Order: sequence, then structure tokens, then C-alpha cells
Amino acid sequence: MSFITSYCHLDNESCRVNGQEIASRDSESTENWLRQLYKSQDFVYPKFYKMDSLSQAGFIASELIKRAQPNLVSNYADDKIALLFGNQYSSVDSDIRFKKSYQEQGTPSPALFVYTLPNIVLGEIAILNKWYGENLFVVLPKFTADFFVNYVQIFISQGSDAVLCGWLGISSEQMNVFLFLVEKQGEAGMELTAENLEKIAGF
Amino acid sequence: MDNLKEELKNQIIEQLNLEDIKAADIADDALLFNDQGLGLDSIDALELIVLLEKYYGIQVTNPDEGKEAFLSINTMADYIIKRKG
Repeated sequence: MSFITSYCHLDNESCRVNGQEIASRDSESTENWLRQLYKSQDFVYPKFYKMDSLSQAGFIASELIKRAQPNLVSNYADDKIALLFGNQYSSVDSDIRFKKSYQEQGTPSPALFVYTLPNIVLGEIAILNKWYGENLFVVLPKFTADFFVNYVQIFISQGSDAVLCGWLGISSEQMNVFLFLVEKQGEAGMELTAENLEKIAGF
Repeated sequence: MDNLKEELKNQIIEQLNLEDIKAADIADDALLFNDQGLGLDSIDALELIVLLEKYYGIQVTNPDEGKEAFLSINTMADYIIKRKG
């Protein structure tokens, strides 16, 4: 049995941690929503500005989960936290930007090219936190609770003690991001079942 | 030469998405790839190669040449002037 101990939602208008809204988009601001969040939540990580939208959203949501679970990093050895993410759009936002860089601007951009794979967000999170555990990014037609429940169990049976899971539904028009932390020992949390996961995911 | 260096700094800031950095924050002799300097990484190095071609028509084909050229704004400006004749 494992437990969902924290979760974070990001959509086009708001950011919620464990069901509580912590920020909402300022429609008057000239900055995009992810940059607004980065600044309003006082993150300091200059590399953020070089990331694509998948990595920025993954960074923000994972940092907010770490704030909700302050002992996350110290409770586990660096190879005991797995990362299990997915989405339906792959890295389409970055793919389109990269294509434009060589079609319209004449020169392909290396900085855009490195984000034309959706699993790069896992690398960004792992590098920041020095996590050397298992990681997997899948592209599925839609958020599938059963898949996450089953694969978390696979990671745990292989030796992981915690799994940071995420659905990064990001395209040029919409953002539906849901990250949740599953821990083997987390009786204070909600039992990881497909039913519970679908309930808190809210998709 | 000063105009070229100023231009380079602004191009680097824009091309490399160096948020919250202004041209005045970059010293001419600051080491671009040093953590005490601008702290650029290997992807930024590739972007600098793209920048030289895009804005100055210069292709960096010799990696050793690039390594010397990209040490600082001073060396980049010197390299541009040398290559453009």
C-alpha cells in the first residue's frame, strides 16, 4: 500500500497545493502565467528562464510539493525517489517553436532543440534535486489513473521509496498540470487507488 | 569597438534569454563560461555560434578557435573584427 501525501494543480488561471489556491493569474500583467508564478512564489533559479513551458511547469509544481513536504529531500536517499510523468501532447509546444526557428528565422536554435523531447523535464527536476532514481515519461491519450497506480507499484517493487508523479497537459492554448507525491510510508496521506487519484486529479 | 561590444552584450542577453541582466551588468572582461562570470553552459556555447552566424555572417568551424573566441566579450569582439577583416 502507498499513499498520496501532497499534490499540486496548475491550470490557465490558478495554482493550488493540496486543494488550496495559492496564486491566481494576473490578467493585467505583461508576463506569462508561469513567470508570474515563479516571481510571486519567490523562486530563485535563473535556469528557469531558459526552460520550455513543460520544464517550467514541472519545476514550479515540484518545488511547491517540496515546500508542502519539507522533509522530502532529506527523508530519502538520492536514488530512492522515482519520477513518473506523462501527457497527451508530448513536447509539441517546443517542437513548434523549434520548427519556427529554422523555417522562419533561418537558424535552428540549440536552446529550443534540447526541449524537443518531453522527458527533458525529468532531467531538469533530477539535476536540480540530485535525484538519481528511476524515471519515465509516457505519452497517453488522456490522464489514466490506473496507469499511474500500476507503474508506481512497479517502481516501488523495484526499490523506490517515493514516486513524484505528474501529468503535464500543456499545449499552446491550455495548461492542465497535476503533480502528486506518492510515498511508501505516508499513512497521513490518502491511499493510492485509481478512485482516489481520479478524485483529486479532477480531470 | 565599444559599439560592437555593447551590441554583442544585448544580442547575447536576447539570444540566451538572460533574464534580469542588462548590458551594463556584463563586464567586457568577465569570463562568459565561468560561474563568477556569466555562468553560461554548453547549450549557450552553441547559441553563441548561431549568434555569430546570424548577426555577423561568421561560421565557427574550428572548435579550438571558438574556445578562444568565447572567453569574454573582449575576445568575441576581437574575433569578429579579425574574421570580418
